[in-house]
Amino acid sequence: MLEQLAVVLDALPYILQGALVTLGIVGGAMSLGLVMGIPMAVGLVYGPRFVRFILGIYVWFFRGVPILTLMFLFYFGIFDLLGLNLSALSATAIVLGMTSAAYQSQIFRGSIEALPQGQLKASRALGMSDMQGVCSIILPQALRLSIPGWSNEFSIILKDSALAYVVGAMDMFTRTHFVASRTYEHLTLFITAGAIYFIITMVGVKLLLTLEKKVRIPGYTT
Amino acid sequence: MLRTTRVLMLALGLVLMFGTGAFAEKTYINGIDANYPPFAYVDKNGEPAGFDVDSLNWIAKKLGFKVVHKPMEWSTIVQSVLSNKIDMVYSGMSITPERAAKVNFSDPYYTVASVYAAKKGSGLTVDKIQHDKVRLGVQSGTPQVEWLKEHMGKENWNFTLKFYDSAPLAFQDVMNGRIQAVAMDAAPVNDAIGRGLPLAVIDTFGDHDDFGVAINKDNAELLELINKGIKMLKADPYWEVLKEKHLKGNDH
Amino acid sequence: MATPILQMQNICKTLSGKEILRSVSLDINRGELKVLIGPSGAGKSTFLQCINYLLTPEHGQIVLEGNIVDTASKKELYSYRQQVGMIFQDFNLFDHLTALDNVAIALRKVKGMSKKEALDIAHKELDRVGLSDKGNLYPAELSGGQKQRVAIARALAMEPKVLLLDEPTSALDPELVGEVLSVIRDLAKEGLTMIMATHQMDFARALADEIVFMQQGEIIERGSPASLLKEGSGTRTADFCNKLSDMCEEID
Ligand SMILES: Nc1ncnc2c1ncn2[C@@H]1O[C@H](COP(=O)(O)OP(=O)(O)OP(=O)(O)O)[C@@H](O)[C@H]1O
Ligand SMILES: [Mg+2]
Repeated sequence: MLEQLAVVLDALPYILQGALVTLGIVGGAMSLGLVMGIPMAVGLVYGPRFVRFILGIYVWFFRGVPILTLMFLFYFGIFDLLGLNLSALSATAIVLGMTSAAYQSQIFRGSIEALPQGQLKASRALGMSDMQGVCSIILPQALRLSIPGWSNEFSIILKDSALAYVVGAMDMFTRTHFVASRTYEHLTLFITAGAIYFIITMVGVKLLLTLEKKVRIPGYTT
Repeated sequence: MLRTTRVLMLALGLVLMFGTGAFAEKTYINGIDANYPPFAYVDKNGEPAGFDVDSLNWIAKKLGFKVVHKPMEWSTIVQSVLSNKIDMVYSGMSITPERAAKVNFSDPYYTVASVYAAKKGSGLTVDKIQHDKVRLGVQSGTPQVEWLKEHMGKENWNFTLKFYDSAPLAFQDVMNGRIQAVAMDAAPVNDAIGRGLPLAVIDTFGDHDDFGVAINKDNAELLELINKGIKMLKADPYWEVLKEKHLKGNDH
Repeated sequence: MATPILQMQNICKTLSGKEILRSVSLDINRGELKVLIGPSGAGKSTFLQCINYLLTPEHGQIVLEGNIVDTASKKELYSYRQQVGMIFQDFNLFDHLTALDNVAIALRKVKGMSKKEALDIAHKELDRVGLSDKGNLYPAELSGGQKQRVAIARALAMEPKVLLLDEPTSALDPELVGEVLSVIRDLAKEGLTMIMATHQMDFARALADEIVFMQQGEIIERGSPASLLKEGSGTRTADFCNKLSDMCEEID
């Protein structure tokens, strides 16, 4: 028992560095997914037919192909062809981010469609352009509605980030495995790593819940 | 005026070419399987360590280049050599025809036997492993898997193979009884025994297994360099020191 | 006679292959209040939405103060919509903004005013519809009547030359209808040009300069309330109004 504790304590700094890598991947992926997902959702709802078609194919592709395949495809294929010399960490963040964009666009699309569409009409009637209407009327409300779906997406990406090992990014999971291989304390170490994942998820979800409450519209229920 | 500038530039160019060529050491990236002690792993400080890591460090120092050891996923490591994300794999890689079709291998630098191992005092024998319905752990992508698959069909062996990403993971499952035995390189088994795991080698099987350094086929220069280095290392007393340090007399 | 402030000429609109408006024309002079009535499905809402191009008619044109509106130019379209305000049956307030910000946002985004300028005007407009104390409440915290008054303030803030109202009281509980109608009455008295679809016949009778009766996408009858609604005049309008009041009595 004491031995195992010693192993864990010994390995903790090394594993926690991995937690930072994991957070970097998740942060990068969530941000990229957000930045891409919002305009994609707007395009999916309001765009002309051919834009919707292209975006539909994007979403279908990234939702349909396993992330593992995408990682190989981009890390060993497309990024190389484009001459991008990306680190394993950024490559993972980008692939997870592009995948997340597909899912996030669906979250935002759902929220936009859940809004009463008369508001966009009202903004037009006041002389706003569609761009202004979408940006200052539709999106602020749709993003609020999206927070629960977003916190779901966060915990999913957090777990997916463990796939970083296939391209050799030194995330928390990969590092835990290394230490276990040396010390033969697999169970203890993976429970430790699991606990850290759990704490990160809890803190993240809690923060988003706080955000949700903070931006809640008074009196508003759906 | 124009002429002098040209001469100056030429001189500058020459200085840069020879100057940097003489002083700057080239850096090579070595991909390792950090889940493969004693050949490669990460030590307590998170630094790459092991028999192969020490070997290459020694060679690099002798031959005047720099080396960075990069822990990589084993199943895609050959792919990483092919796409030049790493320069070589000096990390307990068995020379197989499949791999040799894609990358060049250095001269073999180490030979290990394949062994069956089980929990200490299990009473298992080779005969029992092959003919009882034993669950046998192997590491995916190793030559042992190929050998076992080929022979189990021909000779009506009854075990079921269970695949693991790393040898230590398979040992864990031997300990908790999910599998009864493992079939793999002797080196990781002996390493585990050396670290106090209650495992016992039952017997060797199959062919001997040669380790070599995998290098991109386009990089003949590096291949030559590594071959030269391996030759030097094996002729040096340090070779014995390394074996004593990492392999504990487990020499074949 | 002065040119009408707004002229709709031969407006045709088809929705899902169905002809909803069949060449509807209507002129309105400065300061007039025209009331659109007609059975459900007559095309009143469609007509009003065509007037400020929330729906684009297939044929016909609109002339504002003698100038044909060129909808091919986005800039002209946006500027036209500022000059022709619209009130909807179900308010369409911006749910994430306070009453004040609902009024202020278009001033800032469309007219480019500073936050302070916009809020000053918003205060004034809310005051005008009797809601000066509700400025910091969100739509979800307001009653239906209050919401519709905010919507009116929001439209008025843009200083429209014409205000279109599509059954502004139909979605309200009966006891809240009065407060909204009284605001509209004040606007009529101040001389705001308005086109309003409504079933409030008493209101129409008292305030309309002209009643326009629509049926199946066409204007069937038009005239002063006195002439159209006179007992025994035998007009379709009078007929329709009688049915309407019969229905009300039955419900009561
Ligand atoms: N998007 C649409 N597609 C097809 N038909 C439509 C559409 N919108 C409205 N209509 C049809 O157009 C006709 C006119 O509708 P409109 O809403 O203009 O009538 P209205 O006079 O305002 O009726 P109400 O008094 O019920 O509000 C109706 O028959 C309606 O079914
Ligand atoms: Mg209507």
